[in-house]
Amino acid sequence: MSYAYLFKYIIIGDTGVGKSCLLLQFTDKRFQPVHDLTIGVEFGARMITIDSKQIKLQIWDTAGQEAFRSITRSYYRGAAGALLVYDITRRETFNHLTTWLDDARQHSNSNMVIMLIGNKSDLESRREVKKEEGEAFAREHGLVFMETSAKTAANVEEAFINTAKEIYEKIQEGVFDINNEANGIKIGPQHSPTNPSLPGSGSSGGSQGSGCC
Amino acid sequence: MAFLEWRKFHFFDLHPNVDDGKLSELFKENKITTTSSGNNHLVLSDSLGQIYLVSRSWHTSCFRAYEISVDFTQQMTSAPILVTIGQDEPGVNPLIKVWDTSRLDKNGSPYCYRITRALPGNRPVQVSALCVHDNLQLMAVGFIDGSLIIYRGDVTRDRSSKQKVLRTSNSFITGLAFKSTASNVFLFVATEALVVVYNVTQKDKEQKYHLDNIGCAKKCCVLAESMQESHFMIGRDDAVYCYTSDGRGPCYAVDGEKIALEWFRSYLIIISKSTRSTNLTAMPASNENSINQSVVNETNSITVLDIHNKFIVFSTTMPKIKAILNEWGALYILDEANRVYHLDENDLQSKLSLLFKKNLYDIAIRIAKSHQYDSDGLVNIFKQYGDHLCDKSDFSGAIEQYIKTIGKLEPSYVIRKFLDSQHIEKLTMYLQALHKRGQATEDHTTLLLNCYTKLNNSLGQSDNLKEFILSKDGDFSYDIDVAIKVCRQGSPAEALMLSKKHEKHDWYIKIQLEDHRRYAEVLDYIANLKFEEAEHYMRKFGTVLVENAPHESTRLLKKLCTDYKPAGAECGPLTGNFDVTVRADPEEFIHLFLSNSERLIEFLEHLMGEGSVLSRPVYNTLLEHYLHVWSNSENVSDKNKLSQKILKLMQNPDVDYDKSQALVVCHMNSFKDGICILVFNGRFGHQEPTLWVQALWSCVRNKTNPSMDLLNEILTVIAKEKLFSPQLVVDAIGTGNANVTLGHIRSYITNELQQERKKTKEIAELTANYRRDTDKLKELLGKLKEDVVEIRGSRCAACHHTLELPKIHFLCEHSFHQHCFQSFSDDENECPTCQPENKDLLELLKAREHNKDLHETFHSHLEKAPDGFSVVAEYLSRGVFNRYKIIADEALQKTLEMAPERNNNVKREPATELATYGAGAEARLRQSEVKSKPRAAPVSEGRMRTQEHRYSHSLEANMEYWKPKSVAKSAVKSNPFQGGGVSCTNPFGEEDYDEAKNPFNDGEDEDEDSDRNNPFREDLRPF
Repeated sequence: MSYAYLFKYIIIGDTGVGKSCLLLQFTDKRFQPVHDLTIGVEFGARMITIDSKQIKLQIWDTAGQEAFRSITRSYYRGAAGALLVYDITRRETFNHLTTWLDDARQHSNSNMVIMLIGNKSDLESRREVKKEEGEAFAREHGLVFMETSAKTAANVEEAFINTAKEIYEKIQEGVFDINNEANGIKIGPQHSPTNPSLPGSGSSGGSQGSGCC
Repeated sequence: MAFLEWRKFHFFDLHPNVDDGKLSELFKENKITTTSSGNNHLVLSDSLGQIYLVSRSWHTSCFRAYEISVDFTQQMTSAPILVTIGQDEPGVNPLIKVWDTSRLDKNGSPYCYRITRALPGNRPVQVSALCVHDNLQLMAVGFIDGSLIIYRGDVTRDRSSKQKVLRTSNSFITGLAFKSTASNVFLFVATEALVVVYNVTQKDKEQKYHLDNIGCAKKCCVLAESMQESHFMIGRDDAVYCYTSDGRGPCYAVDGEKIALEWFRSYLIIISKSTRSTNLTAMPASNENSINQSVVNETNSITVLDIHNKFIVFSTTMPKIKAILNEWGALYILDEANRVYHLDENDLQSKLSLLFKKNLYDIAIRIAKSHQYDSDGLVNIFKQYGDHLCDKSDFSGAIEQYIKTIGKLEPSYVIRKFLDSQHIEKLTMYLQALHKRGQATEDHTTLLLNCYTKLNNSLGQSDNLKEFILSKDGDFSYDIDVAIKVCRQGSPAEALMLSKKHEKHDWYIKIQLEDHRRYAEVLDYIANLKFEEAEHYMRKFGTVLVENAPHESTRLLKKLCTDYKPAGAECGPLTGNFDVTVRADPEEFIHLFLSNSERLIEFLEHLMGEGSVLSRPVYNTLLEHYLHVWSNSENVSDKNKLSQKILKLMQNPDVDYDKSQALVVCHMNSFKDGICILVFNGRFGHQEPTLWVQALWSCVRNKTNPSMDLLNEILTVIAKEKLFSPQLVVDAIGTGNANVTLGHIRSYITNELQQERKKTKEIAELTANYRRDTDKLKELLGKLKEDVVEIRGSRCAACHHTLELPKIHFLCEHSFHQHCFQSFSDDENECPTCQPENKDLLELLKAREHNKDLHETFHSHLEKAPDGFSVVAEYLSRGVFNRYKIIADEALQKTLEMAPERNNNVKREPATELATYGAGAEARLRQSEVKSKPRAAPVSEGRMRTQEHRYSHSLEANMEYWKPKSVAKSAVKSNPFQGGGVSCTNPFGEEDYDEAKNPFNDGEDEDEDSDRNNPFREDLRPF
């Protein structure tokens, strides 16, 4: 499947906040009430369209467990966008946001778009974190905020697509160096019409330069 | 660390010692250096430069490939090509050799295609990895200094092969893998420090993409090919990392220092150093001995991951593992002691039963699905899962599973489980799904709607039902009638909505009428329907509507019968001339007004006012109801007004009403004016002649003298129509109370007498004629029988030339040349000249035969005819009671051989007629026939009549002649006149025929008395 851009996302947040479910809802449009712990990093991909351009989203869904932190950390670096997820029914997941954010900022490139997501908005009766609090946190740290429900699919599409839009805008503004793959952005093969068999030949100069060793 | 790994199952069995120790025998002294497998054998190489090919039956063949050692081997899976790298000389001097294992040279070792030196640049470096693409066009060799050589071109040929050296990094290359996509070929390269991928699609345009900054140890990388997007996996201490050609993919955290990775079907096999102390009890008991025998200091753990379903499907510890071999669809593990284990995957059934035992149905479903389990099996799992969840009281979960069984599992199974009122919500869900899938039966619809209604009552969720009802047809498929029926009981509003939406007018109207008694609404509703429907429903429900909402209904009915248009439909000015509006038949609606005369009158008057021509019953009804109202009304002025109306109606020439009925009705309501009009209008007289008789009676019975004019009129009509015998008239007048003198009726009586006389005369003449004819025929017959027939004809009847021999003579005195006869005749027994006539006659007879069986025609004739008796007589003449067919008379034909024609005719006629002729009224019948009234009769009848005129005399005469004889002969038993009391008066029924009793004989003596003796002349005619 050809695409104009490929964006790499990472989903982070405490264990059990619904990261895997968000991904499953976004890629497979289904909800699994019982989900095994993510062991390591799961992976999903989906095509979206922004500005009439096909964009492939590759999403790393990381394990929230502390034990896997070292593995997941290595994934920050190649991501263009991050969904930082907390559970509105569990305050401690909200409290840990700062840690996650610091971690992300420290290991990722500075331009990474981070979206703050308060998941499980369907469980209004068990809400512990007010929407306003989430909004305030996002404002404070310069994040985009959204409450979602992986169960009802509310705002799930929007969360991923809005992030993609933001990244896309940044590319248009020239903030991202699209030739540096470490930014989590890749230009699709159809952007090199002269040589379609070679993916990313348009950015070949950049990719050769990225050989860091 | 608890649970920080995937779920564990035991889907594999480890069978030790599958080779009976053959391999350990083989490698007692030398060490296995490298292994490969493919093309139906395992390839094992030893440290002495020898290569062993092991077949499935563990039979080995060995050849020397290198002088010193074999370092790398790769057996192609689909071709008998074996690529090896080894040393022939001491020092670093790696040589690539390509063997054909299917071709043996004279030494019995495989044929060697090519020997190439593997040197990256100009200095010798040790080889660290080898990979050959399946297409045999690409080969990559990695070196310990991080350089890489790609050989392009046929790997089996030295010459065509081009090599290119690439420098990956400075670190030891640990793994290589080719991956082909539709348009690209990638080479994944794993080193100790990093992972890169080369796009090697095009020669000299190799592009390098950096994938990761971590590397892996030797043998710890594998290409997972059966994945959707094949991943290149590298094993590190903390996890297995996957890469696609685009970059990093997922990562599976599996602890332990990895020794080797292997890909088998959709499983990743990980061999790692065991972190725990050897736990031999983890092994199956039967294996313990063999394991215990070896003294193992270091153990490896083997873990099999189901990447797709994310399970650990096997995990155990075992002695140090040397290699994993994947061949013959199975997995073999070779340990350091050269023992071979077979890692055997359980079949799906045992896997599933294991999962069922643990109640892990969701996993079972996942596995079954990934194994393309058939739908029946899946449904079975869903059902078990549902049952299990039911047992755990997770009803909503259970219903979710049950919903997946729709279409396979009998719905009643599920419904029965959830019939309890607590689970009504779940049941509703299931039923909804059932409807969505179109699997619902009527009962299901009923149940679902009942559930909705119950939910409404208990929880106030009225939306469900509405939603269901208002859902588009595609969403739910259900029987609307059933739905309406159920809704009607629980929530009538919904029922109404439903019936309206689906145009179930019947239901709508019924509900409105019977449950809500909203008559006006129903009428409005009907007025909105199309004409046919409106008419239909008015007919169906009119009674109730008229009873309860008479004014509105009448208005609607009026419209229906004049110019109905659906109330909703606007009629543009252009269609003003469009006058072909359909009108309902008012007759259909009259019965609706049974108890409401005023409305009916209003209705009918409106119709009349509209100028529509109504049928007779309608007028009758109108009249009747007028009278009804008239008789019931107390008010004098109203009465007068009404009577005016009635009289107007009765006198209106356009109004076609049944006079006699009107008379009855007038009588009943004692509406004198009406009776007068009816009786003296005389118009009814034509319809029902007996009225005249009654009029006569009433005339004479009246004490007061009737007007002479009236009496005369009555008498004239009676005379004209022959309604009453004159004697009776005289009797009647005589017995009456009225003062009527003979003078009053003189003219009548004289007239009558004259008529009678005339008639008698006519009959007498006719009789004489018949008799003459009969005599003539009798004579002729006698002649034919006894006398010689002299044939004098000298000319041929066909060609009118003089006759010559051979000739043919007929008794009818026609003669023919033989050749003329042959060319003209259809039948050699018949005279061609007479034949058409004879044929007509025969047909006539046949037609009579035929007609007499048409009972229905007979009855209808009888009903229609003004004079029923003549019809009966006519039918008798056609032989209604005759069971005899036309006598073919073949014997006679034979005796008369050539010319029986004329004779035949003569004979046949009576044969048919005689039995027909049972009634004494034949004469009269004939008489009336002469008058030849036009009558409703089949076409053949007309022809018959014309024929009869021609033959009339002779035929009748014949009948006279033959009758007695054959009556005597065949004793016409079927003749009813013979057996009954009638027969005695019938002279023809008696055996001893007496001329004197024949009424035709004493026709001249006939007077009024004899007329009275005739049973058919009774005053009250039986017909």
